[in-house]
Amino acid sequence: MSPDLIPPAVRNRLKTLRITARRAVDLQGIGLHHSRSRGAGLEFAQFRAYERGDEPRAIDWKLYARSDRFFVRESERESPLALWLLVDASASMAQADPGRPDWSRLAAARSLAACAAELAMQQGDRFGFIGLSHAGLSLLAAGSGIRQRDRLALELRRLDAGGGFPAPGQLAPLWDRVGAHDLVVMISDFFDPATLDLAARLAAARREVVAIEVLTVTERDFPYRGGYRFRDPETGEELLGDGAALRDEFFARFGAARSERHARLDSLGIRHAALFLDEQLDIPLRRLFGAQAAAEYR
Amino acid sequence: MPVLLLPAALAALLALAIPLAIHLARRSEAQPTDFAALQWLRQKPRPRSRLRFDEWLLLAARLLLLALVVLWLALPVLPGSADRTPVVAVLPGVSATPAEGTRAVWLAPGFPDSRTPEPASAASVFSLVRQLDAELAPGVPLRIIVPTVLQGADAERPRLSRRVDWQIVPGAMAAPAPVRAAPPSLSLRQPSGPDRGLRYLRAAAAAWTPPGQPPAFDTAAPDAPLPRPPRVLAWLAPGPLPATVRAWIEAGGTALVPQDSEAGNAADTVVWRDETGAAVATARPLGKGRLLRFARPLDAGALPILLDPDFPRQLAALLGDAPPLPTRVAARDVRPVTGAPAWPQPARNLQPWLALLIAALFIAERWLATRRTRAPAP
Repeated sequence: MSPDLIPPAVRNRLKTLRITARRAVDLQGIGLHHSRSRGAGLEFAQFRAYERGDEPRAIDWKLYARSDRFFVRESERESPLALWLLVDASASMAQADPGRPDWSRLAAARSLAACAAELAMQQGDRFGFIGLSHAGLSLLAAGSGIRQRDRLALELRRLDAGGGFPAPGQLAPLWDRVGAHDLVVMISDFFDPATLDLAARLAAARREVVAIEVLTVTERDFPYRGGYRFRDPETGEELLGDGAALRDEFFARFGAARSERHARLDSLGIRHAALFLDEQLDIPLRRLFGAQAAAEYR
Repeated sequence: MPVLLLPAALAALLALAIPLAIHLARRSEAQPTDFAALQWLRQKPRPRSRLRFDEWLLLAARLLLLALVVLWLALPVLPGSADRTPVVAVLPGVSATPAEGTRAVWLAPGFPDSRTPEPASAASVFSLVRQLDAELAPGVPLRIIVPTVLQGADAERPRLSRRVDWQIVPGAMAAPAPVRAAPPSLSLRQPSGPDRGLRYLRAAAAAWTPPGQPPAFDTAAPDAPLPRPPRVLAWLAPGPLPATVRAWIEAGGTALVPQDSEAGNAADTVVWRDETGAAVATARPLGKGRLLRFARPLDAGALPILLDPDFPRQLAALLGDAPPLPTRVAARDVRPVTGAPAWPQPARNLQPWLALLIAALFIAERWLATRRTRAPAP
């Protein structure tokens, strides 16, 4: 795993991107979301003792002059948008391409989440993280700032692919955390219908859902020749087949399934983009949050 | 055309199936490939089990290596690879210049090349001729250059498998130094009375004596003093052997006794047989001496060899010293005749060459197996 989740080249290109949400913009009024409000809020809430990691400019220096202690002035106002990063951590996400075994779907999903979080942090938006693994949800409550980004990086690195998608009962904490009008970015391969159902339920419950499907190169090119024993990492099901013989029909069926999935996402009003593992990370982000897309959804 | 001495070893060729099977087994165990989109793959009838060989060069090297090892085990030989140049054998002592295109050897033990210094001729000429004939492949022309008079001949004409150019050149072999064998001297002891074979022995002893010399035997009564060795005592007195005679033998004498004076013994060994193979005399060590005993009564009816002209010589040979057989012969009289079966020639052993080939192939196989550009294992 690389020390930095975001490749330098991608980080450079991220500057031109901006996370936009349809409903947030509509509801909070023009300018609220796009005002890059930093630091203290507008409406005073409380003083609290300084903790390590707080930005020095958040310290109330007048209060320090009076009391000889550091206090941090906190604002009541929240930034108008909360970004939730839902990362699928089922076993299928561990699949990588033969040519680049360390760049699995999950690694790409981690970097995508880090990129989105970086964008949100730059905008001053809050962002949280929910890892969807069979052992249950790994939750990071929404927050903002550099420390939140570091906590997210820690959570992302802790995430490990395995098992299947969590059962519906395990998803209950998700509904407690993800509030209405929050922006939910789901990063998954969407092979399991349960992921699609979750996206649909979130969208139906007035959360704005954005789907990024992460696909491997083998699913796009199917470069297998000769006999292979294909194994589904989630079910363990195996299929012995000749690559060349399977190729055409796989393209037909997989393409049909994808377009069906896209049609359903479109019908639910879920924006979606795909990332193939040999592509640059910011391509789906650009497709979703780029200038054109932002203009389209403005 | 190479021949296998042990064709049954070819059954080991079945071992060729081992690398093939390993190769195919390694291929067919398709490694499980993670493929999350498995649900959109249609279950097809099993993949076409097409036999595919990769690393075929390495596989071929290994198969060839195995086949060669099996061939090595089967003892390949190459018959008919013997030298077919005509051979000229020259008897030592003969000056002859062999013709071009021939292999000239001395007719001497080991058949050294005729360019080497002339060896001393010691062995029998005819034995050497027979050996040379046996060692040459059938059909190889053989010329033997001999002097007019041969020494060291034996009683039979050489009977060879090929027609020999028996070239006689003037000259003679060095005659061996005449061996003047001293005939044994016999002391006959027989009481007066019926003849118990005395005359046969006396006649034989007389036959040993060269002309013009006194006979080398004496005849006396049994009570005469015993002779001194190496004189041989012929004790023809009836009855068992007296203790004095026995002591004389044990002191180192050789005695010849008739059948009835001493019982047969398990220690007896037959030392003389007649033409029919029947025992004539047996011998037994007795102390330091030797006791020779006729196996049958000494009369012409029981022992016909007594009347044989060769009896004196054979008896002399038994008692120690026989005159040598004549070995000098005129070369034209002993021209070899044909009719003997051809001797099978030893075939050349191909195993060492095959071993070299195997070693080279093994090195090649190792190189193929460990080279850097080798494809990753399937």
